[in-house]
Amino acid sequence: MRAPVWTAVAISIGLIVLLGYFIPPELAQFGFILTIRSILVGWAVILAGVAALVGVLNLFLVHVARMTAKRNPDRYSILLVVFFILSLGFGLYLTPADPNYQKVVTAIQVPVEASLMGILAVTLTFASFRLFQRRKGLMAVVFAISAVFFLLVGSGLLAPLQEVPGIGGILGFFQRLPVAGGRGILLGIALGSLTAGLRVLLGADRPYSG
Amino acid sequence: MQDLIWTLVAFVLTLMVFSYLFGDNFLFRIASYIFVGVSAGYVAVVVFYQVLLPRLILPLMQGGFVERALVIIPLVMAALLLTKISPHFAGLGKFPMAYLVGVGAAVAIGGAVFGTLLGQISGAASPFNLTKADASAGRMLEGALVLVGTVGTLAYFQFTASSRAAQPARRSPVVEGLSLAGQVFIGITLGAVFAGVYSAALTALLDRLQFLLTVIAQFISG
Repeated sequence: MRAPVWTAVAISIGLIVLLGYFIPPELAQFGFILTIRSILVGWAVILAGVAALVGVLNLFLVHVARMTAKRNPDRYSILLVVFFILSLGFGLYLTPADPNYQKVVTAIQVPVEASLMGILAVTLTFASFRLFQRRKGLMAVVFAISAVFFLLVGSGLLAPLQEVPGIGGILGFFQRLPVAGGRGILLGIALGSLTAGLRVLLGADRPYSG
Repeated sequence: MQDLIWTLVAFVLTLMVFSYLFGDNFLFRIASYIFVGVSAGYVAVVVFYQVLLPRLILPLMQGGFVERALVIIPLVMAALLLTKISPHFAGLGKFPMAYLVGVGAAVAIGGAVFGTLLGQISGAASPFNLTKADASAGRMLEGALVLVGTVGTLAYFQFTASSRAAQPARRSPVVEGLSLAGQVFIGITLGAVFAGVYSAALTALLDRLQFLLTVIAQFISG
């Protein structure tokens, strides 16, 4: 068996946290389990924060290595490293709540993110045209009709029809149809998460042992 | 003056990102590298001030005996996790990783069961609840159609099939039929999602174009 100690740690901690979900807060005699669970989850939040820092630090170190490489150094990485240090330095000094540091969000992050989203509109337009050129199946036809219908609904063009008796009801019915597929997809994701979680708690998957 | 500089920064970055419409180029790369650098720094700052400072550093420096004792274990685990940065000492990080994976698995199971499965199953069953005041044949019929769509969607993603020697693996006719119905419902859902994303993207595009035009107009008018 690979990494038996770490497997025991993952399973035992996981089972204690999972047990907490099945104990109602009214049961005072089992309250200690809820307290332990709360402490364990609190520690996990700290570790998740540190893991995020490890990820950020790794990104920084990778780009430092790329910009200092002897063969083909990446000049763009210099920008990333410099702006990372500036953002981190000013952020730690000013705190994230400082209005001056908030400009980092409003003047750099928001414009870039919104512009990327804007480019997505153009890309999606071309992609939808390509869909009809390359794939002509049942799914593509239903997808296109649904997309056009919901674009019309979202634009408000069908709003006058929604007040007409009979037609309004039919439009409402069509608007509720995506619930079925959405519910199926959500249930599928939940069943997948459940299986993946159970595999870890049963020791079948050990992503920490590598 | 400061606002003017930040507006100019936003203006230039927007133009640099939009330059991608003419293909991948150095302006777009500069903007994306700056964005990643600034965002990574921002994430590190937020994690420090929102998580590490209140949950680890302050209890350790200002807390009582119990609080200090309780943060010793996460402190040690955090130190062990930091060794993941170095390939030579990465093995030391297995303990905190096992801890995180264990908690993550339990939270995922709890979230899936109590957050999604029970809620969605109850939502699918609610049109058939005859004790409700708004129960009607029409509502039940619509509920039945939605139920067929939900089961069909799940059947569409079912890839288990029986196989016999010298014969291709095939699913049962019932599953095939449900899968076909599921395909239609998935198409409808993805179409609705596409319409939503497209509307949002179009709104963002118009917002950025309006911003560019406003800045240009302000410069022209002095």
